[in-house]
Amino acid sequence: MNTKDLIQLNNEKREQLTGTNKEYYGDMLVYIRTNFNKSERYTEEVLLELLEHLLQAQAEGRTARDVFGDDPKAYCQEVIGEIPSEKKTNRLSFILYIVMNLIGHVSLTVGIVGLALYYFFNLGNGNISFPLGSGIVIILIDLFLLALFVLIIFKRIKSSTFKNKQPKKWIEFLQLWVLCTLFIGLTLLAPWFMPDFGANMHISFPVFILAGAVFYIVSFVMNKKMRLIN
Amino acid sequence: MTLRSQLLKGILEGCILSIISRQPTYGYELSVKLQEFGLNDVSEGSIYPILLRLQKENLIQGEMKKSDTGPKRKYYALTNEGHEALKQFIYHWRTIKAPVDTIIGEGGNIR
Repeated sequence: MNTKDLIQLNNEKREQLTGTNKEYYGDMLVYIRTNFNKSERYTEEVLLELLEHLLQAQAEGRTARDVFGDDPKAYCQEVIGEIPSEKKTNRLSFILYIVMNLIGHVSLTVGIVGLALYYFFNLGNGNISFPLGSGIVIILIDLFLLALFVLIIFKRIKSSTFKNKQPKKWIEFLQLWVLCTLFIGLTLLAPWFMPDFGANMHISFPVFILAGAVFYIVSFVMNKKMRLIN
Repeated sequence: MTLRSQLLKGILEGCILSIISRQPTYGYELSVKLQEFGLNDVSEGSIYPILLRLQKENLIQGEMKKSDTGPKRKYYALTNEGHEALKQFIYHWRTIKAPVDTIIGEGGNIR
């Protein structure tokens, strides 16, 4: 069974939980899942075990509190502490997948839009020009910003668990709005302020599209083979 | 942590290894068996961090298998290292158990 099958199974079984058990387990699931560096396989296996156990207990009239105790956060931390780290190769393929997929999408979009503008409206000179050094640094900065963004979102989701009082919706919205604006703003500012350095590259749009397609296809095949997402 | 739970921590690992050594066991089954043997104030959930630790130490191995009654479950079995660790535990337990029993018993007599 693949990890994604375990997640699917968990999704189906979780429906059988009722009332406070559902809430208690739901928080546990989010708290235990939102970890970097922990083996996805072991994480999903233990989550499914905890769920199976709780379902049995529920059928016998016991609650999540009876099974896992009054301090779910402490219990989760104990569980997380024993989950082994993700294998380096798995982590690397996941990061590689994300990076290639992203570059593929961006290159395809830029290439196709650029080509269309040139072809239909005679805008630009049919080339995309950029200094190589600046280009690479900008990509690295944007990837770093993305990683930071994801990290902050994970932290936020994790800290939303095991709360008696849910924070006000509009405050959450405002915080998220500021966060997203900052992320998008910084991503766009990076090329704006980047000084030009490195050899000047002139790549025609069809070549750009082709390169993007290659990146995208490789990432697509990678995911099909290794089921990195879904 | 109460004195009892401190005492129990290491011993529980040995008991879990022993139960699993008899036949492949899944989590819920394991907790039921522990209770049946009288360890009924071991909170049910506390076996899962221990199971993870035993897997990390490569003493047990889990496998997703279809159970007789239907759903797929993770059954645990001992590895070779696990059998070795169980032997060690039994040995250490025996060398500790008798003297401790005597000490507690005689401690009462000395007074």
